[in-house]
This record gives sequence, structure tokens and C-alpha cells, in this order.
Amino acid sequence: MDEQMQYAKLFNDIDSQALITLGVILASTILLTFASQHMLTWLANRLHGPIRFRVFALVPLTRLVILITALAIAVPIVIEPSLRNMVTLLGAIGLAIGFALKEYVSSLIAGVVSAVELPYRPGDWVKIDDTYGEVKHVGMRTVSVQTPDDDLVAVPHLKLWDTAIYNANNGGVSLQCVASFYLQPEHEAGWVRKALRDVALTSAYLKFDKPIIVIAEEKPWGTHYRIRAYPVDPRQQFLFITDLTVRGKQVLSAAGVMPALLPPDAALDSQGTAG
Amino acid sequence: MAQRSTKADLSPWDVVALETFCTPERTQSSQWRRSWRAATSWMGGKGASERQAKQEHELRALPEVKLAHWAPEIDWSPAASALGEILECHEEAPVVLFISPPHGGHREVVSQWAEHQGVDCLPAPTVGELAEGSLEWVECLALQHRWAVPALERHFLRNTQGLQGVRELLERALSSRLGQGVIGCDSWTYAYLKHAVGLEGVPVFVLQALEGEQLAHYFAHLPKGGDCPTVYSTRTGKKILSNGGENQQKDVHKELQRLAAHCRGHLGIAWHYWRERLREPTESDAADRSSERSQASPESLWLLDVLAEAELPEDTGDVATLLLHTLLIHGGLEDHALDLVLPFSNHEALNARLSLARQGILSCHQQRWQVAPLSYASVRQLLESRHYLVDPL
Repeated sequence: MDEQMQYAKLFNDIDSQALITLGVILASTILLTFASQHMLTWLANRLHGPIRFRVFALVPLTRLVILITALAIAVPIVIEPSLRNMVTLLGAIGLAIGFALKEYVSSLIAGVVSAVELPYRPGDWVKIDDTYGEVKHVGMRTVSVQTPDDDLVAVPHLKLWDTAIYNANNGGVSLQCVASFYLQPEHEAGWVRKALRDVALTSAYLKFDKPIIVIAEEKPWGTHYRIRAYPVDPRQQFLFITDLTVRGKQVLSAAGVMPALLPPDAALDSQGTAG
Repeated sequence: MAQRSTKADLSPWDVVALETFCTPERTQSSQWRRSWRAATSWMGGKGASERQAKQEHELRALPEVKLAHWAPEIDWSPAASALGEILECHEEAPVVLFISPPHGGHREVVSQWAEHQGVDCLPAPTVGELAEGSLEWVECLALQHRWAVPALERHFLRNTQGLQGVRELLERALSSRLGQGVIGCDSWTYAYLKHAVGLEGVPVFVLQALEGEQLAHYFAHLPKGGDCPTVYSTRTGKKILSNGGENQQKDVHKELQRLAAHCRGHLGIAWHYWRERLREPTESDAADRSSERSQASPESLWLLDVLAEAELPEDTGDVATLLLHTLLIHGGLEDHALDLVLPFSNHEALNARLSLARQGILSCHQQRWQVAPLSYASVRQLLESRHYLVDPL
């Protein structure tokens, strides 16, 4: 009988007024979260430059603030917020999480950490495991990444604990692109280097306040050249790389510089590996 | 800001080094106003524009005869003389650059200077020569005592072939192999070539930006015969230019200061606004008000609000933005040259060009499409906000 009384003391009396208040809090939280997420995403998608990324970064933070505020209002209505009650409640929740919802809650907690540490924000270009794409939405449990093939991949925040996250632009507008050229070894390397630099300099997508670097690397089959440069907008990265590749090939081909071809045995090896 | 009082201070022909160029007062607030206006018209449509003291339908455009009288073509010869004076102090420099924004007059100034000095202007290559990467047009240039290039933007294309000629030309010029030269150049071309070719150490001169008071002085003395019209602002209904000493009053200059700030102090662009935004009352309106204004000058004109049209929407797409930037860097381009410098097909580039021309953002001059003077300010602001390379003016 005493035990029953103790558990009864844990929860407040839930009368109709308390139920209505909880309902209003729940509805307001859902409404505010929905509205803020859509409004901020809508606004950010219409902006350009650094301000776009700042608005995107507000999306998960706003949701976190709304949720914490809602919990702070709702919890005292349901339970008496004494130390004993909180310990009892947290103990029970911890037990449930430990057995059944460990992964789920770990993702939720990682979601909170991601909102504070900002390893990725909407608008960032990230690589998590084998998934590369633009962060479209940072949710409570997952981050939605849109790949260049237009697949939307939901990656749980849980990956944050033990996986390297590559962020190509880190909330900014500078994203380095690399265009590769594989050439046969017999050519004038100095001329190729200058020609590839000109290819980058004459691209309509080039961001001028960042450097252009042409790297040459000797390989057993020939020379691997890479143009490292930045497009004006991270969203132009594939168009930029395509532009550099197409025009680079034109210039090299016109000058009689031949592309490197893999020897037959190496080609067979690579096919076997792919298979 | 120092007070301008003397006639010399009010002259718009102050040629200065690029480092000392400064935009007019209130340029930043003019940009904010433009952004605010773009945002309000985006949300509320064109109808959300500011209240006007005088409605446009009560006014009509001036006929060509009157325009030729009240706003004749700019005579750039005083600027050419001012440039000549500056050049006397830089006789040791192998090359001196004179840059101005689109419609800013660098071509006319350098041409007139060359004509006055009896200096040969180097011919520009054809688009075909540039597209092929031919260097013959550079190799045939001989050593001269003095030479001039009125428009350097005609000497290159932004592709790997089109860059070779201008690189060779500048290399020869900077190493004094051609003699002493004066090059007129679009400010956007200059910004691009500075990165693509390198122009470090070359003396660069520009026309200093004009303030409202200087614009008032210039427009007051622009009409043929020296009779200054009385001009009112449709936005405020107040007088912005009149015959007599009233032009010295500060409140009279306020509207023209707005115009100066909007045009970043460039006379060429301000003149286009002045010419295209001047209106006169319709006959019925003039008759109604004849009794009210019996004391006023019979030639009362109105200036429409400078921000009222040809503004670029904030949601302009990438294709249009790239096209605008390309046109600015080349100082305008013919249609057939577009696919040589843009990463789209000629069909896509033409579609974008046609769309922008329909909106009044582009205008055609001598078969070359360029950003229209009345759209220049908003196009520059948009490109700057999207981190494209912009000119130093």
C-alpha cells in the first residue's frame, strides 16, 4: 500500500485541465517545429552565399530549442519535479533505453550533439561512409543527404560517434573541386601544366579569390594531372568539373597530347577487381 | 567630406589613380534600398513600390528633338584632356591603363586623346582570330613611339585560345617592345585580366566618382545654349534642378545624390538615367497646371524614380547570372561568340540572352549585347552578392 502511494506521488493528478494543457503543448510543439523547419529551409534555399549556410544552420538549433522549451513546460505538469522523482523517472527511462531503445536514443543524443558541434549543416557537402552528397535536412535521428544521383539517403546521427565525416565546404561557399587527366608519359609537362591552368582560368564557374593548383604525379602508366580549383557556388561543383574536363580534353587533344591507356593485363585486372 | 565650392571642384573630369577612387556618399544605403525594394517587390509584386508624388501616367517621354536639346551626348574631350595631363607625369611607364565601367566612356576618352595627340590606335582582332588563338595580329605590330588601344576588351575571349593574344600583347607592351602605350579598358575586363594575365605595377587611372552636387552642376550645364530646365522629382515632387543659384542648395542635391549613389558615381551611367528617365507633363496636365506654375519656367521636366524598373529579380538563375557576368567581362558580345565563352550550347545561351533582353536587362549596341545602363547597378549588386568576380569601381 505504501509503495502504491509512493508511485502515485511520482505523478501529479492528471485532470482534464492538465490533459488539455499537455495537448496544447504537443500541438504547439509540432506546429512550431514544422513551421520553423519549413520556413527556414524555404528562406535558405532562396539565399546565396554565406547567409544561406547561416540560415540552414538555424534549422536543427531552432528545433532543439523548441523541444527543450516544450519539455521544460510539460514535465512539471506530469510529475512533481523533486530530486527523488527525477531520479526514479530517469532510472526507469534508462532501464528501458538500455534494453530496447539503445540505438534509437543514441541517435537522438548524437542529433543533439550535431546541433551543437555542427559537423554538418543543411547545404554542406559531406561524405559519410560511402555516401557523398548535399545535406538537405538534419532531423532528430537522421541526417538526409541527397546524392548527385538524386537519391535521398537517411544516415543516422549515430555515425557521429565512430565514423569520419568529411565536410567539403564546412558551412562556407568554398568547395574545392578536382578534375583529373591521365596522359601518356611522352609530352611536354610544362606546357600541359600551363594549358590546364588556363583551362581553369577561363572557366565561367571559377571562384577567383581562391588559388588554382595543377598537380602532376608520375605513375607507371603515364602522368596523372589534377586541377584543383573552386567554383563560385558549391552547387556548381559537377558542372565545374565537367567544364574543366571537357575543355581540358579539347586543349590537350588539339595539341596532340595522348591520353594514357592501361596495358591489357592491367585493364583485365581492374575488370576482375570490379567484378 | 570636404565642401566642394569652386567651379574646378565641381568638374566631373577628375582623372585619378585607381587606388584613390571612392564611391559617392550613400552608395551603401543605396544598395540596401535596392535590396529592400527587391525583397518587397518579390513578396508584394511590383505594386508594392514606393509612393510617388507624381504619377507616371500624367507624364510622357521627351521626343528625340527635346532629348537632343536637354540631354545631348556626353562630350568626353575634357576627360581626354585631363588624361593627357596625367600622362605627362607618367612618360616613363611603358603602359598606362585608363579604365571605366560599362558605358563609362574609356573607349571615347582614349580615342579622343589619341586623335588629339596624333597617336595610332592599334586595330582589334576579329572574333575569328581570337577563337583560333591566332597571334598574327600581335606579331605584325611594330615598335612605335606612342600607341593606343581604346578598348582592350575587344582583344580577348575568355577561353584558352582567346587568352593567348592579349597575353602576348600585354607581355610585349609591358616590356616596352611596342613603345609607349595608353590602353582603355572596361573595368570588368581589367578585373579579369588582372587575375588571368597579371597587370601588377601598371599605372591605372579612372574618372573619380561624382557626388550629387557635381551631377547637378553637370546636368545644369548640359543643355545646348546653356538654358537649364527646371526638373522635379516624381518621387518627392520637389525641385532637383533649376536655373539659377538654387542648385547650390543642399536639399536640391538630395535626389541627385541618390542618383549618384545608385550609379556608383559614374557619369556615363548617370547620363543614361537622366536621358531615359526625364519626362514632361502631358498636354492636358500642363494646361491644368499652367495657372499654378505661371511663374515657373515653361520647360518644367520630371525625373522618374531611379529604381523603378529594369531591376534584376533576386531569384535569377545560374544560366542568366553566368551570361551577365560573361557579357560584363567581355564588355559586351555578339550572339555568335556566346558559345565560345559559355559552358552551354549556343541555343541555351541565346535563350537566356533573349529572355534578359525581353526584360530590358540587356541592350544591343553595334550588334554587341551588353548589360543595359539602367540595369547595371542591380546586376553588379547581384553578382557581388553571389561571389562572382566584380570590377574595382
